[in-house]
Amino acid sequence: MSLWYIAWAYLWNRKITTSLTILSVALAVALISSVLSLREEVRRRFEEESQAFDLVVGPKGSPLQLVLSSVYFMDSATGWTPLEDYEKIKADTDFVKAAYPIALGDTYQGFRLVGTTRDFFDFTWLHPVTNEPTQPFVLQGGEYFDAPMEAVIGSVVARRQNLKVGDTFVSIHGSFDLGDMAEYSHEAHPYTVTGILEPSDSPFDRAIYVDLHSVWDTHSHEEDHADTEHHEDEHAEDEPAANPLDTGEIRAADEKISAVLVQLHSIGHRWQYEEWVNTNTNSMAAIPVQVVQKFFNQFLEPMKAVLLAVGYLVVVISALSILIGLYLSIIQRKRDLAIMRALGASAFEIVGAIIIEAFWVTALGIAGGWVLGQMVTYGLGQYMAREYGMVITPFGITMDEIRAFATVGIVGIVAGILPAWQAYDRDVAHDLADRN
Amino acid sequence: MVEVENCIRELGPGVRFHCEHFSAAAGDHVALWGPSGCGKSTLLNLVSGLLRPDSGKIVVHGTPLHELSEGKLDQFRGEHLGFVFQTFNLLSPFTALQNVMLGMRFSDTIPHSECKPRATALLERVGLGHRLHSKPKTMSVGEQQRVAIARALANKQKLILADEPTGSLDPKNAASVMNLLLELCDEEQLTMLMVTHDRVLAERLPTVFDCSGLVKEVAR
Repeated sequence: MSLWYIAWAYLWNRKITTSLTILSVALAVALISSVLSLREEVRRRFEEESQAFDLVVGPKGSPLQLVLSSVYFMDSATGWTPLEDYEKIKADTDFVKAAYPIALGDTYQGFRLVGTTRDFFDFTWLHPVTNEPTQPFVLQGGEYFDAPMEAVIGSVVARRQNLKVGDTFVSIHGSFDLGDMAEYSHEAHPYTVTGILEPSDSPFDRAIYVDLHSVWDTHSHEEDHADTEHHEDEHAEDEPAANPLDTGEIRAADEKISAVLVQLHSIGHRWQYEEWVNTNTNSMAAIPVQVVQKFFNQFLEPMKAVLLAVGYLVVVISALSILIGLYLSIIQRKRDLAIMRALGASAFEIVGAIIIEAFWVTALGIAGGWVLGQMVTYGLGQYMAREYGMVITPFGITMDEIRAFATVGIVGIVAGILPAWQAYDRDVAHDLADRN
Repeated sequence: MVEVENCIRELGPGVRFHCEHFSAAAGDHVALWGPSGCGKSTLLNLVSGLLRPDSGKIVVHGTPLHELSEGKLDQFRGEHLGFVFQTFNLLSPFTALQNVMLGMRFSDTIPHSECKPRATALLERVGLGHRLHSKPKTMSVGEQQRVAIARALANKQKLILADEPTGSLDPKNAASVMNLLLELCDEEQLTMLMVTHDRVLAERLPTVFDCSGLVKEVAR
C-alpha cells in the first residue's frame, strides 16, 4: 500500500470537499488554458490567413483597419483609393504576380459584399502550414458571376441565410446595424445568386462576391443618402449598366475601390514593394502578416496579460482552498495520523502523504481544468467559425500552457506544505490520548 | 524485555512524571493500573517511544530508546511494538484488511508478497474472516478492537502495548476481546503491557504494576 494510495484514500474519504477543491483549481486552470489556447489558436489562424496576400493597398489611414476590413472582412472599410493605383500595381509584372481590386461597403444580413473582378476566383496561394497550393474559391454549386448584380456566396452565407443558386437578395448600405434598413436598402438592385463556394474554413466563407460594377452602381446612391434625401424612386428607374465584364473593362464613373490585394512573385519583396507603393502612389500599403503580428503584440498581449492575471489570482485562491481543506482535514484526522506514527510511519512519510494529497488535488484540477478549458475553446471556436469564418482547433497543448500548468502544480503543492508541516509537528502521544 | 530506570518527564508547569524503576521480562503480561491521571498512559507512551524522557533510561528489546533518533524510533515502533487503543483504533478510509496491512506497510518485517495472506490469516484468527473488506464504520466496536489486535500482531511484534483495550466495550464484548488478547499473547509468547483503571481487569493479568504516584506536583 503506497503513500499515493493512502493519500488518495483520504481524499476519497471526503469526496465532497475534495471535489469542490478540485473544481476551484479546475476553474482557474480552465480560465488560463482557454485564454492561452484561444490566443494561440486565433493568432495562428490570423497569421496563416494574413499570409494569403503579401500586401494590401488602400487609402491612407490605419493599416490595421485596412487589413481587418479587406483580408478578414471584419472592420469597416477605410475609404476609397483611386482605381489608377490598382492599374499601376497590376501593370508592375516584374514584382506583382497578381492584384485584385475589392470594393466594400454594402452588406446583406451582416455579411459583407465584396465587389471584385472575375479573376479573383482564380486566386491560389501557398498555405504556410501545409505548404500546398490552396484555392479558397472552389464552387460547390452554380457558377461564378458573369454580369453585374450576380453574386457568388461563401458557404457560411449560404448555410446561414439558406440561399440557393437562383435566389435573390437585397443588400443594404454599410453594416447590419445602421438602423432603419429600408432607408438604406437597395431594393431596386437585387442580386441573384449564381454560385455557392465550398467551405474553406477561412473568412472567405463569410463574404458575398459580386462584380465590382455592381458595387459602384449601388454606391452611386450613397451620397444621396448622406444628404438625407431619398431618391429610391429614381434609383428604381436606373437602368443597369452595359455588362463591362464582356469587354474586360472595369472602369466606372466612381473609379474608386476600397483596396487592392496583392500577391508578389517573392515574399522577400514585401518590404521593398510596400515602400514603393507608399512613395509612388496616392495609396498606402500594408503587409498583412506584419500588421497582424503588431496587432497581437500591442493589443491582444496586454489583454492576455490581464486575463492571465485574473487566472493566476483564481489559482492563488484555489491554492488557499487546498491549504484550508488540507489544514482542516489534518485537524479532523489528527488521531489517524497519530495511529500511523504509532504503527511506525515516519514524520516524513506523513508529510509525504499530505503533500501527495495536495498533488492529487492539483493534478486532477489541472487535468479537469484543461478539459474544461478546451471545451470553452471549442465553444468559442464554434462561435468564431460562425461569426468570422475562422476555424480554430482545440485539444492541443502549447508550451505556454505547459508552463502555466507547471506553475499551478507548484503553487498547489506549496499550498500542501503548511498542512504537511502541521502534521509533522504534532504531539503524537497527545493526539492518541485525545478522544475527540 | 522492558526496563525503565529513573525516568523523568515534565508534563506541564509543576507536574512531573517520575518512574524510578519498572521492568517486564519477555512473555510477561503486566497490567499498568491506577486511577485516572496517575501516569500509567505516560509510562506506556515512554515505553513506546511516543514520548521521550527528559532524563533516565528506557530499554526495550535491549534497545535504549532514549538514545534513538526520531527516525530510528519510528522504525523500532513499526518492527517491535503492537498497539491496541481504547477506541478510534482503525483508520476510517481503509477496510479491515487494509488496516492490518497498513501495520506492515511502515516496516519491512514482512515481505510484500506475504502481507495480504498474513493479514487475511490474522483476521481469520480473530474471527473476522468474513469482514475482510468491511470499512470500520460498518463494524461494531468489538469487531474494530479485534481488527486492532490483528494489526498489533501484523509484524510479528513481541511486545503488545494496550491502552484501556476494553474501555469502550460492553461487558460481554470486553470479556471476549480480553480473552482473545490473552489467548494470542500466550500462543505467540508475547509480552503485554496493558493500561487499565479497572482493578478487576488488571487482576486477570499475572502482574499488576501500581502506577499511583508516578505523576506528582513539584515545587516550581
